[in-house]
Amino acid sequence: MDGVRWRMREWPLSSVFILILLLHCVGILFFTRGFLLTRTELPHYSNCSDVSQSPCLQPHPPSYASPRHPNLNPDQSCWTKPVIDRLVIIVLDALRFDFVAPSTFFEEKKPWMDKLQVLQKLACREGSSAKIFKSIADPPTTSLQRLKGLTTGGLPTFIDVGNSFGAPAIVEDNLIYQLVHNGKRVIMMGDDTWLQLFPHHFNKSYPFPSFNVKDLHTVDNGCTTHLFPSLYEEDWDVLIAHFLGVDHAGHIFGVNSIPMTEKLDQYNVILENVVEMLESQSGPGGLHENTLLLVMGDHGQTINGDHGGGTAEEVETAIFVMGLKKPPSSLLLEHDTSSCQLDLDGRLVCISSIQQIDFAVTVSALLGVPFPFGSIGRVNPELYALASGTWNFESSKEGIYQNQSNMEEWMQNYVNVLCINSWQVKRYIDIYSASSVIGFSNEDLLHLSAMYSQAMENWSNTMINLLLHKNESCHTSLPDLRRQTDAYFSFLASVAELARSKWTEFNLKMMGIGFGVILISLLVHLLAIRRLDKLCGVYFLSHAKSGISFGLTFSCLVVVIRACSFLSNSYILEEGKVASFLAATTGMLNLRYSIMKGKMLMEAVVFVLLISILRFTIELGLSKQAVSSVLLDICPSWIAELVPVLALVVLAFMLLKSIAHSSCQRIIKYVIIGTILSYLLIAAYWASESKLLNLPLPKGIRRNFIPQIIYIIGCAQLSSLALLRFLTEEKTPNWEENVVFKMVAMLSSWSSTVIILSGRQGPLVALASIIGGWCIMRLKSFEQDCKKGTPGTLSLYSSPVTQWSLIAVCLFFCTGHWCAFDGLHYAAAFIGFEEFILVPQAILLSIDTFGFSHILPIFGLPFLVAPQLPFGQGEQQRKRFFFMQLSQVYLMYGFITAISITFTILCVTIQRRHLMVWGLFAPKFVFDVAGLILTDVLIFLAVLYYDFLGQK
Amino acid sequence: MEKKGKKKQPSEGNDTVSSPSPSPWQAFLVHLICGLGLASALWIAHKVYTNLISDPSQILCLIWIIEAPIVILLFSIFRKNPKECSYWKAVGRGLLGLPAGAVVNALGAIALGAPVGVKYFSKTLNWSLLMSLFTVVPAASVFGSSWTNWQQIFAHTKPIGSIDYMICLPAHGAVIGAWFGAWPMPLDWERPWQEWPICVSYGAIAGYLVGMVASFCFVPLRSEQRHVKAE
Repeated sequence: MDGVRWRMREWPLSSVFILILLLHCVGILFFTRGFLLTRTELPHYSNCSDVSQSPCLQPHPPSYASPRHPNLNPDQSCWTKPVIDRLVIIVLDALRFDFVAPSTFFEEKKPWMDKLQVLQKLACREGSSAKIFKSIADPPTTSLQRLKGLTTGGLPTFIDVGNSFGAPAIVEDNLIYQLVHNGKRVIMMGDDTWLQLFPHHFNKSYPFPSFNVKDLHTVDNGCTTHLFPSLYEEDWDVLIAHFLGVDHAGHIFGVNSIPMTEKLDQYNVILENVVEMLESQSGPGGLHENTLLLVMGDHGQTINGDHGGGTAEEVETAIFVMGLKKPPSSLLLEHDTSSCQLDLDGRLVCISSIQQIDFAVTVSALLGVPFPFGSIGRVNPELYALASGTWNFESSKEGIYQNQSNMEEWMQNYVNVLCINSWQVKRYIDIYSASSVIGFSNEDLLHLSAMYSQAMENWSNTMINLLLHKNESCHTSLPDLRRQTDAYFSFLASVAELARSKWTEFNLKMMGIGFGVILISLLVHLLAIRRLDKLCGVYFLSHAKSGISFGLTFSCLVVVIRACSFLSNSYILEEGKVASFLAATTGMLNLRYSIMKGKMLMEAVVFVLLISILRFTIELGLSKQAVSSVLLDICPSWIAELVPVLALVVLAFMLLKSIAHSSCQRIIKYVIIGTILSYLLIAAYWASESKLLNLPLPKGIRRNFIPQIIYIIGCAQLSSLALLRFLTEEKTPNWEENVVFKMVAMLSSWSSTVIILSGRQGPLVALASIIGGWCIMRLKSFEQDCKKGTPGTLSLYSSPVTQWSLIAVCLFFCTGHWCAFDGLHYAAAFIGFEEFILVPQAILLSIDTFGFSHILPIFGLPFLVAPQLPFGQGEQQRKRFFFMQLSQVYLMYGFITAISITFTILCVTIQRRHLMVWGLFAPKFVFDVAGLILTDVLIFLAVLYYDFLGQK
Repeated sequence: MEKKGKKKQPSEGNDTVSSPSPSPWQAFLVHLICGLGLASALWIAHKVYTNLISDPSQILCLIWIIEAPIVILLFSIFRKNPKECSYWKAVGRGLLGLPAGAVVNALGAIALGAPVGVKYFSKTLNWSLLMSLFTVVPAASVFGSSWTNWQQIFAHTKPIGSIDYMICLPAHGAVIGAWFGAWPMPLDWERPWQEWPICVSYGAIAGYLVGMVASFCFVPLRSEQRHVKAE
C-alpha cells in the first residue's frame, strides 16, 4: 500500500486536470489566432484630392464636360459628378428577395409573397425610373456584418460576428464617413446598431433598441413617427431609416406566420405613403426634385427566420431603387443582367441583380463623394444608369442623334467613373498587400496588375480617340467605350473574386502550432487514463487484467466514427442525427447483451425507446420547433400546458424522495428544498403566461420577478454548496451516499435555472436525461459481468461514458439548439429581463445553450460510479478506489470531448477554403471550442466540488 | 441504419435436437439458390422498372415476394426436430416469422432514424419485410420457437452446427450491411439513391451476400473439423 500511496503523490490528479485545461486553452488560442483572423483594417481614408493621382479624367476637365454643364459648380464635385442631391435609404432588416419580387418569379406563390405591392407597381410603371434588384450579400449574414459591408464596400470577416453583442465603431473608411466628411448631412432613425457603428457621424439620430427580439413594434413605430416629418425637412442630404420588424417577426414566429404578413402589409402602407410624399414634392424646385429612394434589405432569412449563414435564402435580399426625376429617355444598357417576368396583373417586371459590395461605391458615385478606401466593389451600371437618367439633358441637341449622344455621353461618363473605381481598388489592393503581413499571393497580384495596366492603356487610347473626334458629332465611340467597360469589369470582377477566395488570411503556422498542442493534450489525456487504469488495477492484485474488451473496442469505434463525421459538412449539418444513430446503435448492442444475459431487459428497452424519442425531438429541433409547440399542435392546449407541469411535479417528487433519507446532510436538504420551491415558482410563472388560465397577476408584482427570484435561489444554492466544501468535514461513514447527495444537490440547483430557460420542454428533457442516466448506470454492469472478476476501469467505464456523452450531444440538439449563431435562443436571455444588459444575459444565454448538454451531464457523472461497490478491502482503500474511478470517468469524458474537437479543428483546417467555411464550419468550431473549454472548466470544478483529491 | 440483433419469442426449451445438419454441398446449394433468387429478382425488377432507384417500394416488394418462397421452402428442409415437426409446419413458422421479423426490423430502423410518415410507410414496410427475410425467417423456419437457439444465434453469435452458420452469418451480414448502408444518407450529393431505404437496402443485400459467401466458406471448414474430431 505504501507503494500505491507514493505513486498517488507522484500523480497529483488535480494537476493533470489543470494541465489539460491549460493545454486546451493554449492550443485553441493559437489555432484561433491563425484561423479566425480578421482582415487587416487599413487606417487610410480617401480624399477628394486623391483623384488627381489617378490616370482618369478629372470630373470636369475644361476641355471636355464643362461647356455642356455650365450650371454645375465644379467645386461641388469631387471624384465623380454628383448625380442625385438627396438620398432616402429605407432598410428593412432581413428582407427576403421573395418579399419584394413578384411571386411569378418563383415556383409557387407563398403566403408571404406579393405583400409589398407598391414596389412592384412602381417597378413596372411606364416611364418611371424604378427598378427592383436582387441584391446578393456575402456571408456572414448578420445585421452588423452586413451594415459594415454595405458601408465599407469590403468583406467583413467572421471574427466580427463575435462582436455583434457590443458592436464596435467602424474604424475603416466608409460611406457614412465620406458623406459626413464631404459636407453631406446624414440623419438616421431605427436600429441602434447604426449608432454603435457610427457614433459621431449623424446630424440627427433617432435610435431605438434592437436587441429585444420579442418586441416587434418599438423600432418600427419609432421609425415611422420620425420618418414622415423628416421627409418634409430640408436639413438633411441622406436619410437612413432602418426597420427591424420583419427580422424580429422572423426570429420569433418564422416567415410563414401571421405577424410576418402583418408586418409586410404595414410596410406596404408606409412605403406607399413615403412614395406619395416624395412624389408630391418632386416637382421642379420641390424638396425632392432630385432625390433617390432606396428600399433595401441587409440580408435575407430562412423560412424559420434565421440568418447568419451562406444559403441562398439568407444571402439573397432585394434593393428597390426609384429616382424621382423622370428620365427623358431610358438608357439601353448592354450590361443588362435583368430577367423579366409578367407579374400577377400581367405587367412586365424586370429584376436585375447586384452584389452587395457594390453598394457603397455606387452610392458614393451617385452622390459624388470619394469612394471608401477599402471598397472592392464596382459601380453597378444599372443602378448608376437609373439615377443618372435624371441628368440634365435639356441642353443637349435635339434630333436623331439625341438618343445616341445621350447614350454616348452617359457611357463616357460611366467609363470614367469605372476608371476611377478601378484605380481606387488597385490602390487599395497595392497598399493592402504592402502593409499586411500575408497579403495576396504574388502571382495573383501580378495577374491583377497586368489586367489593370492593360485596361488603363486601353483607356488612354480611347481617350485620345475621343478627344480627336469630339467635334464630329456623329462619330460614335460606343464600341470603344464598351470594350473599355468590359476591361474594367473583368479587372474588378477578378479583384472581387480574389478577395472573396482569399480574404481571411489563415496563418497556417499558428494553426499548426495550435493543432500540435491539442494533439499533445490528447496524448497527456491518454497517458493519464492509462496510468490511472494501471493504478486501479493494483487494487485487484490477483485479477488485474487490462484486457481489451468488446465494450472498449466498440466505444473507441463509436467515438472515432463520430469524430470522423465532422470531416464532412453534411454530417455536421446532421450532427444530432448522427449522434442519435450512434447512441441507438450502442443501445441496441446493450439490448443484445441483456438478451444474452437474460436480465435488465427493461432498462435496455427503455434506453432504446428513449433514444427513439430523442431522435424525433432532434428532428423537430432541427426544424426549429420546440417540443412543446408540437405538443400544442397535436393535442388540445390544456394538455400541452399540463404535461410540463406534471413533469415538474414528478421531478419535485423525486427530489423529495431523495431527501427523505435521514443520512443526508442538513445543508443539502435545504438546497434541495430550495429547488422544489423554484419548481413551484416555475409552474406559477408558466401559469401566469398561460392564455388558458389568464390569471391576473397581483398588482405590484411584475412577471419578471419570478424568474429573477429563481436565478437568485440558484445562485444562493450554488454558493452554499461551494461553502459546504470548506465548512463540513464530517467524517460520515457513508461517504458514498454523501457523494450522491452532493451530486443531487448540485444538479437540482442548476436544474431550476436550466429548466426555466429552456421553456416548457425543460422538465420533459430533464426527465429524459434522468431516465437515460439511470439506464446507462444500470446497464453498466454488463461489462462487469462479462468477465468474471473485475475488469480494468477502462473497459468497465468506456461504454457507459461514451453513451453518456452521446446522450449529452443528443440533448443539445433535441432542446432545439444547433451549432450556428442562429441556433442560439436569444429569447431565453430575456426571461426575467426586459432590457438588454450584457453580462447577465450572456450568462443566461450560455446556460440555456450548454445547460442540458454540458453542465448537467458533467456534474451528473458520479452517478455512473456511485452504485459501484468495490470489495471490502477496508474503508480507506475502498474510498480511494472509488475516487480514482471517478477521476477516471472524468478523464474519459474529457477525452471523448477532446477527440471530437480535435477532429473539428482538423476539419476546419482542411476545409478552410470551403464555400461553407464561414456559414457552417466556423460556427461549429466556435461552438465546439466553447464547449470544450466549458467542459474542462466544469470538470475541474466538479473535481474540486466532489473533493476527491482531498480524500486520500 | 439497421441493427437489430435480437428477436423475442416465447421460449419453450425443447432443444433435444437431432437436426439434419446440411452437408457442405447442401449448404453451398442453398446459398447458391438464395443468391440466384435474389439476383433474378433484381434482374426482373430491372426489366420491369428499368431503373432500380425510381420506385423503391415496388422493387423491394417484388424482391421479397420472389425471395420469400425460396428462403422459406429451402430452410424448412433443415428444420430442427424433423420428426416432431412436419415440413409444412416449418413453412408455416417461416410465414409467421416474416411479419413478426418485419416489425422488429422496422422498430430498429425507426430507433436509428428511419423517417416516419405516411409517405414512407410502404417503403419501410417493404424494406422491413425484405430484412425479415434475410434475418428472422430462416431462423423461424429452422428453430421455430426454441428460445435458446435464437439466443445462441442472435445474442451470443455462437453458431455451432453448419445450419447455424448458414442462418447466423448472412443475417448478421445483412444487418451490418444495412447499418453501413445508412451512412451515405446524410451526404449532400443529391443522388436519388440516398433516399430511404434505397442505399440501406443495397447495403443489406451486399452484406447478406458477403455473409453467404462467408458461411459457405465456414461450413466445409466446420464439418472437416467435426470429421477430424469424430475420428
